[in-house]
Amino acid sequence: MPDKLTLERVSKTFDTEGQRLPVLLPVDLRVPEGEFLTIVGPSGCGKSTLFNVITGLLPPDPGGSVAIDGRVMASTLGRIGYMPQRDLLLPWRSVVDNATVGLEVQGVPRAEARRRARAVLKQFGLEGFEDFYPFALSGGMKQRVALMRTFLFESDIMLLDEPFGALDALTRSVLQEWLSAVCAKYRRTILFITHDVEEAIFLGDRVFVMTARPGRLKLELKVTLERPRSPAIVTAPEFVALKRQILDAIRDESLRAMAGEQPPAGP
Amino acid sequence: MTAIAAPRAPRGAAASLAGDRLRGGPWRGWLGQAAGVVGLLLAWEVLVRIFAIPTTILPAPSLIGRQLVELRASILSAAFYTMSSAVVGYLAALVVGVLLAIIFAHSATLRRGIFPFFVASQAIPVIAFSAVVILWLGNGLMSKIAIAFYLSFFPITVSAVKGLQSADPMLVALLRTFGAGSWQVLWKVRLPIMTPFVFVALRVATTTALVGAIVGEWFGDNNGLGTLILQSLHTEDTVRLWAGIVACAATGTLFYCAVAAAERRLLWWPAAALDS
Repeated sequence: MPDKLTLERVSKTFDTEGQRLPVLLPVDLRVPEGEFLTIVGPSGCGKSTLFNVITGLLPPDPGGSVAIDGRVMASTLGRIGYMPQRDLLLPWRSVVDNATVGLEVQGVPRAEARRRARAVLKQFGLEGFEDFYPFALSGGMKQRVALMRTFLFESDIMLLDEPFGALDALTRSVLQEWLSAVCAKYRRTILFITHDVEEAIFLGDRVFVMTARPGRLKLELKVTLERPRSPAIVTAPEFVALKRQILDAIRDESLRAMAGEQPPAGP
Repeated sequence: MTAIAAPRAPRGAAASLAGDRLRGGPWRGWLGQAAGVVGLLLAWEVLVRIFAIPTTILPAPSLIGRQLVELRASILSAAFYTMSSAVVGYLAALVVGVLLAIIFAHSATLRRGIFPFFVASQAIPVIAFSAVVILWLGNGLMSKIAIAFYLSFFPITVSAVKGLQSADPMLVALLRTFGAGSWQVLWKVRLPIMTPFVFVALRVATTTALVGAIVGEWFGDNNGLGTLILQSLHTEDTVRLWAGIVACAATGTLFYCAVAAAERRLLWWPAAALDS
């Protein structure tokens, strides 16, 4: 499978009052087309910085590059569907009109954009709610509208930054299963950030573990669990083994961070 | 799926969520206000009669009322005249204020360079310049429009700048990842978020615009409510003077209510109500 997204030595250093603060150590990452890659790590591990670089909101440090379909991009703005943790719906727009924001920016006429949005309403469990405004929706529904907005945006790559982070455990579990099914259908290349180790394994084809301050990729694990995966899979021996491995890696890292040691440079 | 039975969101839903409506229905509020006004007028009438206050000091409301009815044609046309200059100046202030705000919000250099002068200019009592404005623009509508404009555009600009800058940075970032340029961000995010802020200033500006128009008439005009009041003062016709004052108050209230109604219609989503 050809690489959809390639990061080469992508790092990020912030300059604050003359002090150079490395937030992200050089990352090399190849994401094949159609892969669901999950990235798990503690707070402040530079996950969001990594996403900001991939979406083009932040330029990488000189020497690093982001390539889509093998072509290095000067800027990836407008090429990658991004979904932040907060739903960021516009309160003055209805469900349908919120979902079409990305398409509108891409220049799709309003009527056509609405037609496409209505066509996938059912898929996103929002049928009958198309003319509702965000304030009348539950947290899980708002999050699905935000996902719908990301899915409708025409791009092959989607970055989801803890999309279920603010939801209760029950809603979250339902949405994970649902997202897994939707993604299997659309075959998009997906990068998914989460704090939640089970979520990372449940959704991912591959799991990356990131370390904190400065962030770097520490561990890479393939998840060979069969799809479709049911919620019951979390008790399967293979699942538990993966979870053990990831938790150990994160625990080591947290202990080291608490002891105030600098992690070794470079992956 | 968490398909909860959420209520369909009608336009004006935010207004119906307002506390007073939940407590007693909208008409109860109106009734209270009307009772207050009637009570005040009654007290005024009674006090004037008991203490036999001379008409030159304070005429009874019944007298003022009769005067208003007798002079209704001339008072209405005067109110219309004053209102037209106030409204035109006000709308110009809205357009110029928002355009300036867009420029200021867009360029930090301009904001730092021009904004201080801008603020300083407002420390000058503009009314003092009204005479000069009349000299420059004549004693017709134009000079009053200019004064009404000048008195109201500053608060509008300041609130609009604040509103444009209060867009959630994450939301702006999201739009940028979609490939949106600054104009698209302005149109789709910043302007709607700015609107509640501008309306706060717009409500205040109804008064300043009207004051500008009335004061402008004092410096030179032969039409309008300001002129009517000034003439009554010169002829010591206190009842007519008070009729003019009442007409000014009514015009101002009407202006304010029209803007408040426009606000309720435009800003119906709940977050908007919180901002204002």
